[in-house]
Amino acid sequence: MNSLGVLLDIPSVRLALVALVLGSVALPIVGVFIVGLDIMPVRFAMMHVALLGIAIGLLTGLDPLLCALVLCGLTGGALTPLARSATGLSGAMGLLMTLAVAAALLVLSLSGVNANGAFELLWGSILATRPADVLALAVLAVVVPLLYVLRRRDLALLLHDRELALCSGVAVERLTLILLVVVAVAIASAIRLTGALLVDALTLLPALAARRVGRSLPAMIRWSVIFGLVFNVGGFFISLILDFPPGPTLVLLGGVCTLLLHALPAVSAPRRKAISR
Amino acid sequence: MSSPPRGLSAHAAPLRLAGVTCRHGRLTAVDRVDLDLAPGEHLAITGTNGSGKSTLLRAILGLHRETSGLIEVGGARAGGTADWARRRSEVAWVPQRQTAGRFPLLLSELLASGGHVERSVRAAGELGVGDLLDRPLGTLSGGQLQRAYLARALGQVAAGAGLVLADEPTAALDFAGQEQVAAVLAELPVTVVVVTHDRAMVEACGRVAEMAAGRLREIA
Repeated sequence: MNSLGVLLDIPSVRLALVALVLGSVALPIVGVFIVGLDIMPVRFAMMHVALLGIAIGLLTGLDPLLCALVLCGLTGGALTPLARSATGLSGAMGLLMTLAVAAALLVLSLSGVNANGAFELLWGSILATRPADVLALAVLAVVVPLLYVLRRRDLALLLHDRELALCSGVAVERLTLILLVVVAVAIASAIRLTGALLVDALTLLPALAARRVGRSLPAMIRWSVIFGLVFNVGGFFISLILDFPPGPTLVLLGGVCTLLLHALPAVSAPRRKAISR
Repeated sequence: MSSPPRGLSAHAAPLRLAGVTCRHGRLTAVDRVDLDLAPGEHLAITGTNGSGKSTLLRAILGLHRETSGLIEVGGARAGGTADWARRRSEVAWVPQRQTAGRFPLLLSELLASGGHVERSVRAAGELGVGDLLDRPLGTLSGGQLQRAYLARALGQVAAGAGLVLADEPTAALDFAGQEQVAAVLAELPVTVVVVTHDRAMVEACGRVAEMAAGRLREIA
């Protein structure tokens, strides 16, 4: 068993902890958006698009993460028209995923660079977090809560029902565009921490846990951040102490806690039986 | 009643439809519908399920994309995004299936979305759902949801909406509830189009039309 104090003296460990705390502020809120918009296939497709962005970065010599962020942001924005119908996004995601991976493989092949560099990001390495990654997460930690605070009413209506939002004066197209771009950029930013395959630990698991206990959007937002901090920081400390790989440890802690929350009786006030009147 | 008993609201809007056609893919749901409603007139639309009634109301709000023909509310057509936003602010809507939504929304938040919170909350009290403001919509019964959406619509009218579109607003209510809602809609001093199978509601409207296979035919 490792000594936590000694480990926290290591700069890469401290940087990873800062990244996780910052990520735990923004990414669970993004997870709430993903759950609310019912666009879970989108975040999976974005992981593939991020891989293509990384491949382009390796080919051109630009920063791979920056390329992934930009490409994911642009793709998220381009998806907005598909969000008009309930099945529009999910139906197109299979095509997007396949095309993105095929293009990424082609780019890597043409560029002659070592593909392992790109595929390593599928697994991530939290201890390889760079200051640039922390900066991206810090920006998200400001932008995402600010978006929620400034557009709380509109978000509550849009996440509840798109048509109700339209009929309540919400600029649905614009807000959907913003949300899809934020989701895409957040997914690309989170990949460094846990890897593309485990990015759900930072986004979806806290949101799914919060959905169990939150009765309104504000409550869900609060709970998602709390759960994000507990799952990610707690999982990170456990992995340090027990010398486990951090990514899977975070996911397993978050997953087990979320499962338990859904298995236990509701902690909120018992619902009064709805009576037809 | 063609003239509302309390006198016409300054916001009451005329509604004009000319050759309105709505499609669901190859299916024609609404077929060349013409309609003229003067400000303050109340129209009941009856008809069998699937005859196009709800689609017609949704087309007026711009919620059905495959729509052609002329739709004017308050003498104005809607073209761009800003036009449709204005249209939706001028039209109060009580949807047919008041869904609990895919995400929690409190009754108080629903009422606030109508634009005139004070009137919506007061209406909720009058309609018997005023003590449920902190409840998520998903925990309300169908009847409570219908009353909640009607209260929201009354708030929209107070905020300036001149046309109310109500799609089977009494479907989940008992007889007493049906009569109460019919009375509330009949008192509205704005233009009202209500899709209904409820006799009390039909009798409360000055004009009655029947929809069959997408065609609208006035019968009273």
